[in-house]
Amino acid sequence: MFGLGMFGLGFPALAQNSLNVVSWDGAYVKSQIIGFIRPWEDLTGSRVKVIEYSGGIEEIRRQVRSWNVSWDVVDLELFDATRACEEGLLETIDPDSLPPAPDGTPAREDFISGSLTPCGVGNVVGSTVVSYHRDRVARAPEQLADFFNLKDFPGRRGMRRSPQGNLEWALIADGVPREDVYRVLSTEEGLDRAFAVLTQIKPSIDWWRSGEEAIRLLETGQVAMSSVYSGRIYDAVARGEALEILWDHQVWFYDVWGVPKNGRHTEQALDFIRFATSTESLARQANHIPYGPVRQSSMQLVREEVRQILPTTPERLATAIELDAQWWSDNTERVNIRFQRWLQRPVMVPRDLPR
Amino acid sequence: MNRFSAVVAAALAASPPSAAAAEDEATVKALLQRIEALEARLQQLEAREQPLTPALQEEPLTPALQEEPVVQTAPAESPEMTDAVSGSERITMTAETLAREPDIDIGGALRFNLVHRDFVDSSEGKRGESGLDVFRLNVDGKIDNILVSAEYRFYSYMDTIHHGWLGYEFEDASQLQVGIHQVPFGLLPYAAHNAWFGVPYYLGLADDYDMGIRYQRQDGPWASHLAFYKNEELNSAGDLDRYSLDLVQVGEQQNEEVNQFNARLGYTFGLGSGCETELGGSGQWSEIYNAATDRRGDHWAAAAHVDSRCGRWNLQLQGIRYVYDPINPAGVDSAAVRVGAFGGSYDIASEADVAVANLAYNFKPSVPWIDQLTCYNDYSRLFKDEPDAIDSQINTIGCAVGSGPLFTYIDYILARNMAFFGDGSMAAGGSDEWRSRFNVNIGFYW
Repeated sequence: MFGLGMFGLGFPALAQNSLNVVSWDGAYVKSQIIGFIRPWEDLTGSRVKVIEYSGGIEEIRRQVRSWNVSWDVVDLELFDATRACEEGLLETIDPDSLPPAPDGTPAREDFISGSLTPCGVGNVVGSTVVSYHRDRVARAPEQLADFFNLKDFPGRRGMRRSPQGNLEWALIADGVPREDVYRVLSTEEGLDRAFAVLTQIKPSIDWWRSGEEAIRLLETGQVAMSSVYSGRIYDAVARGEALEILWDHQVWFYDVWGVPKNGRHTEQALDFIRFATSTESLARQANHIPYGPVRQSSMQLVREEVRQILPTTPERLATAIELDAQWWSDNTERVNIRFQRWLQRPVMVPRDLPR
Repeated sequence: MNRFSAVVAAALAASPPSAAAAEDEATVKALLQRIEALEARLQQLEAREQPLTPALQEEPLTPALQEEPVVQTAPAESPEMTDAVSGSERITMTAETLAREPDIDIGGALRFNLVHRDFVDSSEGKRGESGLDVFRLNVDGKIDNILVSAEYRFYSYMDTIHHGWLGYEFEDASQLQVGIHQVPFGLLPYAAHNAWFGVPYYLGLADDYDMGIRYQRQDGPWASHLAFYKNEELNSAGDLDRYSLDLVQVGEQQNEEVNQFNARLGYTFGLGSGCETELGGSGQWSEIYNAATDRRGDHWAAAAHVDSRCGRWNLQLQGIRYVYDPINPAGVDSAAVRVGAFGGSYDIASEADVAVANLAYNFKPSVPWIDQLTCYNDYSRLFKDEPDAIDSQINTIGCAVGSGPLFTYIDYILARNMAFFGDGSMAAGGSDEWRSRFNVNIGFYW
């Protein structure tokens, strides 16, 4: 009647007024809002509620198992997407349902290798690097090992409160070649070795959970150096902060979109992902935060000056470590339990024992 | 929209032929016009979906996108989220942040003691004793810049407030606290590692709580405290049901501490490194009001301390000099003043020096169920000015073991002429015997 049936078929997004999209914080989510969230809202008339989180799949697991799903789309680290998929917490996504590149190249061929998984559609290649405030260090670090060298590079350190990336760096600083890192980490002796290196600087570590906390640690001078998501630095520099990046042994990784199972807005969520991972959307995001888009076709739409500062330039990849998503998917639970226990164990005599 | 079309169709089908037919016809016509407008809008939107091609690389996309986007962030179940849209300005607060940083924390502890005292016959005869140490409830919170902290304690023989204060945190993270709080004097927060503490505590010169106002700030390596206390924490110097030692009015001793100023300054070498050493000095000046003479005497104390946390080691050294100069009625000996807490009282020398030497090592636990293993030897001594008085000494060797919510102190205490150890006295007289107490304090903290 009146041709209104097309509303539901052509624009499933119009079936509801809002979509809950869960992502990270700071300059990263800003790039997504400008890159494709607002355009999608503008296009569909729907609204997106952007919810920030700092990773992990516990909340997804809780929602999916209770069928009380309020997170419609989630921006996940690849290893989290992999294990969530293996646990049956995410919808599978057919790559053929994704839009082709503007020249007709199918999505399967357009996405770079490893960025399409059964339950996750890649969006960016992110990177964790060491950063420092050049006005607050007596001597600039030149290699990753300097981050662990408190004697020659004094001052506190900021690190993400999770084992991913930290253990890899600890082994690298202890002399393990980057290609052997996960082989070493796969043994108890290797884990012991990594934790032992972290223990050496543990009293000097300030832990952060969200990317913006890391930036604040640097901005306020609470730490001399910090691990930080590389893309956030440029936003801070644009605000006038004298932050520098040490690219040595950056840890790069994929972020992917996933759709929790048992949700009520699955079709709309998939519609959003199709839009968010189009060639143009990924390029627009990259133009606002220097992370590599996962579609090859997007790169030509990324401004030249942005391309120069991506973490994926050959010289920056020379010593880079790819965060092994499958290894972390297989080992996160086990290693995380140990990491949490390790966190609870003080190195120094506590100033305030329970009384 | 489907629901809308269904409603329109239902309305058309249900319209009865009546004198109002003309009016209905106009209504339907208006509805049809509205639907056509909506369809036109839909076609516009569909048309805009297609050309998302290279033109989109140009920035900004639309004027709206030039706005500074501020992300709405809220926990999934937050009421804030229900009304939120992207771009709305909200305080950044993630679900995890909320989970780990509640505005008000309710906590507490339940602790028990297993004790063997060689100076108590029944303890020897029973091969030890056990009992409730304390049940405590804590409230700690921060709402905006307003701070609150309070602790209530129940013992089998008394209950009392341990501390309770309201505070304000300034932009530079300095704090102003009003209420009952810890007096900033000497080694902070404690002058011992063990559960039984040492000489300064039994003089009221460590872990002491009084009623007043305190300002504290940290400027890089400098830590400074200024405080003024109107009186002891309960404003009832005859009440012995208190946690910390104060002058008390018992028997012929009718003194109480009033109008006390405290200042403490510390400098930490190697702040933020794995080897921090604080050097500090403290001063305390107060009046001593005597209820019998209605006159005020004086008290002062000064301390210098070193607190070095280097790797897994912690060395604490402290020297204290104190003087009580009360104005007692004739016939009352001023060589001692009376302090009290935990339902009892005893005398301490009016003038004396104190030395503290504590050494601790934090072991790396070798078993997975132990989170913390700190072992220590804490020694302290009271050098009394009174000629021929026997110094009071206490030495505690032990370990503190943390395992999840459980925290246990295992202490072997040797004391000579100390309060709570038989006939030991912290004033003149007493005994020169060394007494021992083996004390296991098991606590569950939440």
